[in-house]
Amino acid sequence: MAGQIKNLVEQIIKVRCNGNPTLINPTKIKLILKGINPDKFNDESEDDPIIIGKLQTIIKDLNLVIEI
Amino acid sequence: MSVKIAYSTNTSSKEASQEIKEKFSNENNLKLVLFFASSNYDPNEIAAEMQNNFSSLKTFGCTTSGELISGLMLKNSIVAMAFSDDLIEDFSVEVLDDLNKKDAVDLAFKNFESHYESKMQEMDFKKYVGLTLIDGLSLAEEKIIDRIGDLTNIPFVGGSTGDDLKFTKTHVFYNGKAFSNSAILALLKPKVDFDIIKTQSFKALDKKLIPTKINSETRTVYEFNNIPAVKAYTDLIGIDINDASKYFMHHPLGLMANDEPFVRSPQQTKDYAMVFYCNVSENMELSLLESGNIVDDTKRDLDLANQKRKIKSMINFNCILRTLELEAKDQTEAYGKVFEDIPTIGFSTYGEQYLGHINQTSTILVFY
Repeated sequence: MAGQIKNLVEQIIKVRCNGNPTLINPTKIKLILKGINPDKFNDESEDDPIIIGKLQTIIKDLNLVIEI
Repeated sequence: MSVKIAYSTNTSSKEASQEIKEKFSNENNLKLVLFFASSNYDPNEIAAEMQNNFSSLKTFGCTTSGELISGLMLKNSIVAMAFSDDLIEDFSVEVLDDLNKKDAVDLAFKNFESHYESKMQEMDFKKYVGLTLIDGLSLAEEKIIDRIGDLTNIPFVGGSTGDDLKFTKTHVFYNGKAFSNSAILALLKPKVDFDIIKTQSFKALDKKLIPTKINSETRTVYEFNNIPAVKAYTDLIGIDINDASKYFMHHPLGLMANDEPFVRSPQQTKDYAMVFYCNVSENMELSLLESGNIVDDTKRDLDLANQKRKIKSMINFNCILRTLELEAKDQTEAYGKVFEDIPTIGFSTYGEQYLGHINQTSTILVFY
């Protein structure tokens, strides 16, 4: 399976920024500093369980409600 | 008047504080005093004296490894900025006096929410700005700034407290008291517009290292690209393995975000491992950086911000490694001149914060 990481990253950014484009860049940088570079993943990226686990921790820490 | 700045090089805490007070004496609408003091002052004395001299105001600050004020880089001094009520509408200051406490930031944020009667997630990030002053010997900066970023979109900017390169103990100050192994978070609601400048003087080379074996608690990298860290680093630069530390200042590593480096500076080698001044994560791609001219690059970034609107005052959290480089190149006077026309205070930090914990950078809060 592929593409889940890109999907999760996009949803984190979308929900966290709540439609405000000014917040997209700082949110991406926060993810990069947490070890997830949004630009490194695309629809073909393998569903690596370690990275998906990291993203689930981030979703919890950011207290986001995201449909997986 | 929006801010007033003053400094003293008097070595007595009492007399230095009185000198600062006298320089602010003509102002009657002051609200808050921020000060940065050399660790060579007795921390309890300087905290108490500053509060005694401004008894009707709140005072807060920290110890340093050198101080900055408009036009000057100082040593063994105290610098202060007084904010008037036409610059600051409201503020709240929290001391995190136990950095081992897991929920220290969460508790401070609850108090901010209580003070401002609003959830941190719901506050307008264009109307509030946070300051961080975090013990520079605690290794706690990443956890604090990361948690701040989790809990809010409000920008926080600041620096790690210093102790004049003694590396023994640093302090933060609030309300007449000094605290070690502690941090201060301040949440300001300015009446004016503000921005944050992050400036560093490096270009990224097309050479990468990926940490593959680390200890994030001690900020140690044992291996890059599955080979001993020092060997990988020195091979990348093309130097002898025994010369690694000679190149740390000129060639730190950078985590690249939108072509902008978030600098991770090596501190020392331990056998074939490398210890950094801030954390790196496993599998985080890092670029080899090459240093440029700090004075020119800082001036460029300040000029860019000034072109948008005139900067009226600023607080500069300037990395001690930049200060050491400026001193080595005899450029401290030139650096001071970069912001001589802007009311400024700042200090030489053991690390800088903006979105994350970084090194060899200036993080600057500017008010318009």
